[in-house]
Amino acid sequence: MIRQVVSVENRLGLHARAAAKLVRMASQFSSEVYLSREGAEQAIDSKSILGVLMLAASQGTRLVVSISGLDEAEAGEAIRRLFEGKFGEDY
Amino acid sequence: MNAAKPEQIFEGNGVSPGISLGQALKLDSYNRVILKILLEDSLVEEEVKRVQRAIQASREQLERLKLRFEEKVGRERSFILDAHILMLEDRRWGSEIEALIRNTRANAEWAVRQTTEGMRRAYESLEDEYFRDRVIDIENVVERILANLAGDKPFSWAALPQDLVIVSHNFNPSTFAIMDLEKVRGLALESGGRTSHTAILARSLGLPAVMQIRDFLTSVTTGDTVLLDGDEGRLILNPTPERLDRARARLQKCRALHEPAPFQAGAAVTKDGVAVSLRANTELPHEVRLAQRCGAQGIGLFRSEFLFFADPHGFPTMPAQLETYQMLAREMKPHPVAVRTLDAGVDRVMASPSSATEPNPSMGLRGIRLSLAARELFRTQVEAILRASLEGKMEIVLPMISTVEEVWEARKLIEEVRREITRDSGRDMPCVPVGAMIEVPAAVLSLESVAREVDLLCIGTNDLVQYTLAVDRGNPQVAHLFQPLHPSILHCLQRIAEVGEALKKPVRICGEISANPFFAVLLLGMGFTELSMNPLSIPTIRKVVQEVTLAGSQQIFKKALGLPTASAIGDLVLDAVSKLVQTDLSPYVKEIRAQGGGPSDYRN
Repeated sequence: MIRQVVSVENRLGLHARAAAKLVRMASQFSSEVYLSREGAEQAIDSKSILGVLMLAASQGTRLVVSISGLDEAEAGEAIRRLFEGKFGEDY
Repeated sequence: MNAAKPEQIFEGNGVSPGISLGQALKLDSYNRVILKILLEDSLVEEEVKRVQRAIQASREQLERLKLRFEEKVGRERSFILDAHILMLEDRRWGSEIEALIRNTRANAEWAVRQTTEGMRRAYESLEDEYFRDRVIDIENVVERILANLAGDKPFSWAALPQDLVIVSHNFNPSTFAIMDLEKVRGLALESGGRTSHTAILARSLGLPAVMQIRDFLTSVTTGDTVLLDGDEGRLILNPTPERLDRARARLQKCRALHEPAPFQAGAAVTKDGVAVSLRANTELPHEVRLAQRCGAQGIGLFRSEFLFFADPHGFPTMPAQLETYQMLAREMKPHPVAVRTLDAGVDRVMASPSSATEPNPSMGLRGIRLSLAARELFRTQVEAILRASLEGKMEIVLPMISTVEEVWEARKLIEEVRREITRDSGRDMPCVPVGAMIEVPAAVLSLESVAREVDLLCIGTNDLVQYTLAVDRGNPQVAHLFQPLHPSILHCLQRIAEVGEALKKPVRICGEISANPFFAVLLLGMGFTELSMNPLSIPTIRKVVQEVTLAGSQQIFKKALGLPTASAIGDLVLDAVSKLVQTDLSPYVKEIRAQGGGPSDYRN
């Protein structure tokens, strides 16, 4: 089980395109990947786009990522890079 | 039935006359009936499979749409479709729907809708506007699943009781195509207006309709008794027993009026012996019976868009189209059926998300332009029309022609298709007459070149007025400028009549203007002897034609040509035609006043 904090840095936040990228990325791993707003109880499944969009994570939001499973290390690394790279968006 | 509930009266705008009494049937904003049906235990697993198939089909459609989108507008724009595809792949949602079906034994439609309602509430409570608006994406996806569920095993209207009054916020005209019109008695809407397409259709179907009823939906539930009064523009919810009795008496009188032996058929002949053929404009296959009953000499204009809108994939197959055209051809025999090829914009047929919409659709890729850009679509439709011509007389009418080149191109394609079918089927396909819709001023001004290349000319008066006067009649700020009696329109019409006469090409008026007796007399005076209109207007126009002379009509038209404004022309025809005709024309006065730009309920 890995827990890490990431922050949403791209201007548009976890909007539809970024959310789609995150869901596709998370779905590549067998591990379970859950997201919650920092300080909030409720966690959502990051393989569910409806859940990810409902996080309503705008720019600057900090999210806790909890990953558990066989490939949790790789999944954690990939997801961290996705957030740091601003989902491949230039702004 | 609902004796305990108090009577409530809601005022609106009566847009289609008559009264109707029935049970309310509430539609959602997508005009779908979402009823909860309790399934037999043995059917539950099949229902789960049905929803899985619908979701899978929706996914495949979106994948294809995405590919097409990427070709047309590039990868960057297709991401919203990506999000939609992911929603369909969302296992959490999928499992929730399946669990709901299993736990409640409910039908798939209800379960899909029910899970969405929960999400809708959750999204709507979000503070961020962008994320709140994702509800629209969810609705879009739900809409697609429901459409696929409908295609998979159509929602059965058979389970619904007789005598229904549709209540809804809005009403998409294409919904007429999927309703059981034998059961629907009226239409009550919060939105809409007298000139809306839905209102025109309701009138043509003889369906009482009241629109612009404010805030009544929350008070009405499916199954409530409602009395709809299209004459007074009123909806009465849970009417008192006394009122019900009076309404029933009135209804019986109305029915007696509406269900006589078939109206007189054949051509209408003026007092001085000029034969005028009266045909029907229709768009629903169902209307053919109405056309027959009203004595129409054929379908002067079949607007084929509805076949497309009613199809869950937006593209009805050749056999599906053929079946409709064959039915029309058989039913109307020996009269012809003119099918106008698809006259819709790209946004309507691609069933695509809003990013494909054009800023100015009425001047965009529509009508013949779309047909020549999406040739397979056109060829499929042409093939169905040609094959149907073995059953009866068919005509192909090309919409939105603005240059003769479009006619050349379309005729070339039609001939190619004809040869292919002849070769493949071994049956010699007859040539079908091809007509052009004259509705763009450019076509009027260069009419000789267009007319030489077609077998008939059909005037689309609504579009001709819109394009000539540069007025969008759907825009309330300028709707009063939508004046079919404007001198420029009379000049256009006169020119078309003259060119048709000189080149010996039949000219047909296909527009609501010919359904107004005052205007019909004016058209007769210009020399038009082929009028196509909504079926219900035919009996009145027949009577009026029989009461006038060509010479008298010509005199009125000559006087009208000298007048400077639409309102002056309106005054003239109101006065002159009333003197010529014995039929009571009072119901049509208001409309003529509106066409002259005068005050009327057209400004809504």
